[in-house]
Parts: sequence; structure tokens; C-alpha cells
Amino acid sequence: MPLMLPLVVSCGLFGLGLYAVLARRHAVMVLLGIELMLNAASLNLVAFDTWWADTVHTGQSLTLFVIALAAAEIGLGLAIVLALFRAVGNSDVDGQEPPTSLLAEGGDEL
Amino acid sequence: MNRRYSASAVGITAVMAVCAAVVAFPRLGDDTGPYGLPAGRTTTLVDGGDLLGVSVTFYVDHLSAVMLLLAATVGLLVQVYSVAYLAGDARYRSYTTIIQLFLVAMATVVVADNLWLLVVGWEVMGLCSYLLISHHWELAPARAGAVKAFLLTRIGDLGLLVAVFAIGQTFGTYEISEVLTAMASPDAPEGLTAIGLLLVVAVIGKSAQFPLHTWLADAMPGPTPISALIHAATMVAAGVFLVARLYPVLAESAVTMTVLAVVACVTMLLAALLALTSGDLKRVLAWSTVSQLAYMFAALSVGGYDAGIDHLLSHGAFKALLFLVAGSVAHAIGSTALRDMGGLRVAMPLTFLTGTIGFAALAGVVPTVGFFSKDAVLESAWHAIGHDAPVAPLVAVVVLVVGLVTAAVTVVYSFRAWSMTFVGHGAPARASVAVHEAPPLMVGPLVVLAAATLLLSLAMPFDLLMGLVTTAIVVAAGWLAWRTMSAGRDPASLLGPAQPAFTRELDWDLGYAGAGVVARRAGDLVTATDRDVIGFYPRAAAATSVWLSRVLARAQSGNAQTYVTVLAAGALLTTLLVVVR
Amino acid sequence: MTAVTVVFAAMGLVALVSAFLVVTSDQIIHAALWLVVTLGAVAGLYVLLAAELVAWVQVLIYMGSVVVLLLFALMLTRTPTGPGSATVTRNQPLATVVAGATTVALGAVMWAGFGGEVIDEDEVRVGTAARLGDAIFRTWVLPFEVLSVVLLAALVGAIVLTRRGER
Repeated sequence: MPLMLPLVVSCGLFGLGLYAVLARRHAVMVLLGIELMLNAASLNLVAFDTWWADTVHTGQSLTLFVIALAAAEIGLGLAIVLALFRAVGNSDVDGQEPPTSLLAEGGDEL
Repeated sequence: MNRRYSASAVGITAVMAVCAAVVAFPRLGDDTGPYGLPAGRTTTLVDGGDLLGVSVTFYVDHLSAVMLLLAATVGLLVQVYSVAYLAGDARYRSYTTIIQLFLVAMATVVVADNLWLLVVGWEVMGLCSYLLISHHWELAPARAGAVKAFLLTRIGDLGLLVAVFAIGQTFGTYEISEVLTAMASPDAPEGLTAIGLLLVVAVIGKSAQFPLHTWLADAMPGPTPISALIHAATMVAAGVFLVARLYPVLAESAVTMTVLAVVACVTMLLAALLALTSGDLKRVLAWSTVSQLAYMFAALSVGGYDAGIDHLLSHGAFKALLFLVAGSVAHAIGSTALRDMGGLRVAMPLTFLTGTIGFAALAGVVPTVGFFSKDAVLESAWHAIGHDAPVAPLVAVVVLVVGLVTAAVTVVYSFRAWSMTFVGHGAPARASVAVHEAPPLMVGPLVVLAAATLLLSLAMPFDLLMGLVTTAIVVAAGWLAWRTMSAGRDPASLLGPAQPAFTRELDWDLGYAGAGVVARRAGDLVTATDRDVIGFYPRAAAATSVWLSRVLARAQSGNAQTYVTVLAAGALLTTLLVVVR
Repeated sequence: MTAVTVVFAAMGLVALVSAFLVVTSDQIIHAALWLVVTLGAVAGLYVLLAAELVAWVQVLIYMGSVVVLLLFALMLTRTPTGPGSATVTRNQPLATVVAGATTVALGAVMWAGFGGEVIDEDEVRVGTAARLGDAIFRTWVLPFEVLSVVLLAALVGAIVLTRRGER
């Protein structure tokens, strides 16, 4: 199996994830994009691990760490989205209203 | 109602006059003439040193002393006179205060050693004359006259300002005494024509000489005592004083002196003819002032330094007298038009007597002071023809001839004004009004000035030949005027077909209006250049900055997504650069 | 061209297509569900790359917890989730260009570096739980412990961020 095959899939996933981060309005969609990019990186790590036939499995161990970090990151990211929603009333990354008026109200919609 | 205030005003002016006398009297003998080393006393109040370059220094010599005494005496008499003349005037307080400021400014001019100090006094005088001429500012002619006086003297002030800069450049000092010392030394600077001409411009504006001669006559709506002050002792005398003060600087250049002589000749005759045709007593006196000032400049221009100063002094005395007489007449009949007067010698004997002395001095009748000082002027022109003089002999001849002709015209218009005021039967419209002599506070100054007009003769030089010539002229011209008047005709009709033009004062103001239009066009051009050419660069720079900042501010949107996009693009470009290389 | 290669290519295609649907879907819920497909396909790719334990962890943690967490967050925030709920910003054209260029650049770099390399399927060491456990707890034990601190910090941070009321 050519090494380029997983690498190409990884590049594609990274590009799509980057697009989601840069173009989508909803904060959750941005988080989805980040997950895709993390998966692309993980796929790269595993592919190189396998190609190298690593005895200490550096790539796969790092992938496990990445997955753990991703879990932590998604937890924190969702907490931030929640706080944003409480403060602004929506979860858009390009909030349309000036922040001063929002902070003054400090909405408690939940 | 103004009694307490007028007492304090007169008192303050009297104190000022005493101070001036104390300063002036010891210096009266310091006469070394215009070309000698400065003989006066220099006092430094504030030394500006090298840092400022402007020091408050005073320089008192014979010339300053004469001017100081003249200004102080006339100023005090005017203050006393005004107490009665302006009794009940609502703005009497500001009036007297401005007179005091006026006198202080004149004193500053005459005793200043530093040229900048002189400029300060000079400008303050311009301001004071503006304020005093517009004393009755509810009258349109007073406002217009004040503005005209201010604007026309400003033209001269500009000349003085540039001249002072030029003097500072040429001599390396602004102290008059040092300038005079430099001129008296063997290696005196040469090529002072430019400075001289600028100074001539300054005195043309200040002393109302041709072609800026009209403001003095249009300043007549001001209170009459003010006219006495301006015409006799302060404002216009400052122009003569400036020429006398910096006489060596001006006399160095024959061109300057020739220009001054020509200006003086034109002004002398023109103003005398305008005085002949005027129908207003105060305007007659105003034009006569312009004419007599031209005599002084003529004397100075042909080298008659002492004659010019003597005529300034004598003119100060008799012109103050004449204006106060005119004020007295106007106070009695409420008008200054000659046709409203006539026959006043019966009702106002003291005014008639002093007025007669004043007009005699103006005409140059023996033994008034005007006779001697005018003779001295003409004698200096005669002397300049054969001797070493600042101007060419031909110019001196012209000055002499024009001076003699003007003397004849002066006799005619003096006789005309005098007889239309005091002789005859009076205007019918005035028959019902009871005319009475002026109050003592007004008559007092008249008597003092009339006495001065007679007694100052003792201090004047005398030349027998010229005295005979002028006396012959006085007799001939007086006889002509008397014949004309007794035939029932106005002496102004002697001008023949030219009379209407002179009555309209040659429409000279139209010339000013034309010059104003040209100046405004030029100003528009300069403004347009400034706005559209020079102003383009800063405006374009500002607009570019604003535009750039708008563009750059757009990048600072606060939108994290945009930032990350740019970040990613930047990282991509960096990678490409690294890989491609 | 072995069977593994074919299956890998097919699964990779599934992952890419579903990922494309994730980023272009106009409903958040659909996007989240398509993400499940993507993550599952990637897990399959891990299996084909002989990373057995990683594949299981991927299924358990990613597909199990992360996606569920996402859905929970969506429900908690009560944001609209219907059609048109997931719009793009004005940044989209630029994002498309940058993302596309990044993909191409990455692919080119990979090709330049590893264009002719082949994974030898006979010498592959399968990443079983025993081997990975051995590697992590012998070789990578220090990063592992550090990671536990990071997780703890994330836990505390999430609680602080989402706590309401008193400050």
C-alpha cells in the first residue's frame, strides 16, 4: 500500500477542517472543523508509525494522547460556547453586536 | 455729573505734563543739529540683551524735548477744554482715558531709543486716533472716517515695520542713538535709499501726505478737541518727528529726499486748493494741516532741519488754537458748515480775537509765529539752491516756487474762512438762536494758545529778505481775497472752471476704491494659490492618511475568523517561500 | 494493488465525502451526524493501518463521547438546529481559497517527501493493546502523566466556565 494514500486522505481532511474553521458562523461548526483537523493529524501519525514499523509505537501513542487532548479540548470548547451563548444570546463567531451592551446585561437565558 | 471724573482726568494729564516738562527742560539746549553725534541722554529701563534684542531704552535730546513739551501742553489744554466741550457726554470717561493713552503713546514715540519701542507707541497712536475719531460712533461719517484713518495709516505702518527690519539688518542695532552714531562716524553705511523710501511711506501714511492725504479731512466727524490734539501735537506730528529723528539716514540718499520733496510740493499745493474750496470750517482746517505738514517735509527735504522743527512747533501752537476756536464756534451754533456762520465777532468777542490771531498765524502775517517759521522754511529752500543740500538745486527751486504759491493760496483761504465765520451778517436760519460766548474753561485754553502763538515768535529766526517777500505776498493775496469777498463772490471761484472738481476733492476716494478692487483681486489670487496649490499638499497628505487608516482599520475588525484566515494564509506563504527556495 | 489498498482507498473516500458533507451541511445536527460517519471511517482506516487499539479508542471516545457531548451542547444552548441554521460568514470566499491552497500545499510537500514510499504489509507491527500499553507505560509514561494534569485542568476550567450566578 503506498504511503501516499493515507497522507492524501489526511491532507483532504485537514483542508476541509480548516475550511470549517475559517468559514462557518456557528461556533459548534468551528469546533467540528477542529476535530476534523485533529483527525487528519492523527491519521498522519498512525500512517507513519505503520510505515516505519516502530517498535515503541511513537505515532500510535501520540495519537492516543491527541484523542485525550481532543476530548479535553471539546469539553472546554463547549463550555466556552455555552458561556458565549449566555452572554450574547447566540453562538456566532462574528457576533454582530458591540460587546459593551452585552456585558451590561449579562443575560441568563439558560 | 462728570465733575469728579473730569477733575481727576485733568489732574492726571497735568501730572503727566509736569513729568514731561521735568524730563524735557534740561535737554532743550542739547542742540547739535542733525549731523552731529547724538547729544541726548540715553536711559535703559529693561535691557533685552542678546536674547531678545529688544530693550526698553529712552533717548531724550532737544528734538524729543520740544515734541514732549508741545504734546504735553496741547494735551493738557485739550483736556481742560474738553471738560466744558463734552460736558454731559455719555462717553466722556473713555474719551479722557484714551486721550491720556494717546499722550503716553506720543511720549513713547518721541523719547524711545529702541525702534521697536517707537513702533509700539506709533501703533498705539493709530489705535487711539481710531477710537477717538469714532467717538460719536452712532454717526455713519464718524465710523467711516475712523476706519479710513485706520486703514490708510496702516499702509504707512507697514512701511515703518519693514524699515525697522531693514535698519536692524543694515546697522546691526535697533537703538536710534547707535544708528545716529554710526551715521556720524566716517565709515557710515551707504545705499540707504530703500530704508529711506520705506520711512517716507511710513510718514506719508501717518502725516496724511499725498497720495494718502484724505483721511485727515474725513476724520473731522470726531470731537473737535481731538482734531486739535491729532493735528497739532500728536498723530500727524509723529510723521515729521520720525523724519527729523532719523534725518541722517534719510539725508544720505538724494533719491529719498527728492521723493520727499516732490510729495511735499504736490501735497502742499493740492491741500491748500482743497482748503480753498471746502465749505466746512473743520475741513478747511484739516486741509490746511495737511498743507502745513507738507511745508515741514519740504523744509526737511531741502536740508532745513531747524526750519522744519520750528514750523512743527509753531504750527502745533496755532493749529491747536484754530481747532479749539472752531470747536468753540461749533459749540455755540451747533454746526461746522461755513454757510451757517457769519457775524460771530459780535456775539463771541474772545473767540473772534483768538481766532483772528490763529488765522493770521496760518496766513503768515507779521508778527505771529507762523510768519517767522514759514519764512524759515522758504529761506531754507532758497538757501539750498546755492549751497550744499540733500537735493538738486532744481528741486530746491521747485520747492521754493511751490512754497510761495501755496503761501499765497493759504492767505486767500485763511481770509475766506475767517471772514465767512466772523464777519458779515450771519445766516438767516440762525437768527432765532441766541449765540453766546463759550464758557471760561473753553476760552482759557484759547487765550493761552493765542498768547503762545504771539510769544513763540521771540524764539524764531528771522530773515529780512524772505520776510519782505512773504509780507508782499500776504498783502497782495489778502487784497485779492478782500476784493473778491467784497464783490460778493466766494474766493473759491478764483479757481475758475476747476472749482467743482476741487469741491468734490478730485474724486480721490474713487482712486482708493479702484486700488481696493485691484488689491482684492490680488488677494483673491493669493488666496486661491494658497488654497489650491500650496494647500493641496497638506490636504492630500491628510486625505491619504485618512484613506489609509480607513483601509487599515478595516483589517482591525475584531473578527477572530478573519484574523485566523490571515494567519493561515501567512503561514502558507511562509511555507511556500521556504519550500520553493 | 492489494485488497487492503482498495478497501483503504474506498474508506478514505467515505471519510473525505462525509467530511465534506460535515463542513458544507446547512444543519448543525446533520453536520454532527456526518461527523460520526467521518470518525467511523477514520477508525476503519486505523484498523487497516494495523492500529487496533487506536481504532477502538477512536470509536469509544470520539464517536461515543465527543459527538454526544456536541449534541448535548447544541440542545443545551437551544440554538436553532433546523435547515439554514448553520450559515457561513462573509469570510467564506477567502476561506475557500486558503483552505484549498493549504490542502494542495500539504499534499505537494507530502509528495515531495514521501512520494515513492510503500508500506510493507508483511512487516507491519499490529498496534495491539498489549504493545501500546507496553509503549505508553514504559517509554511514554511521563507525557502520559502530564496529560492527566492537562485533563484535570480542562475539567476544572470547564466547570468554572459553565458555572452560573455568583462570582
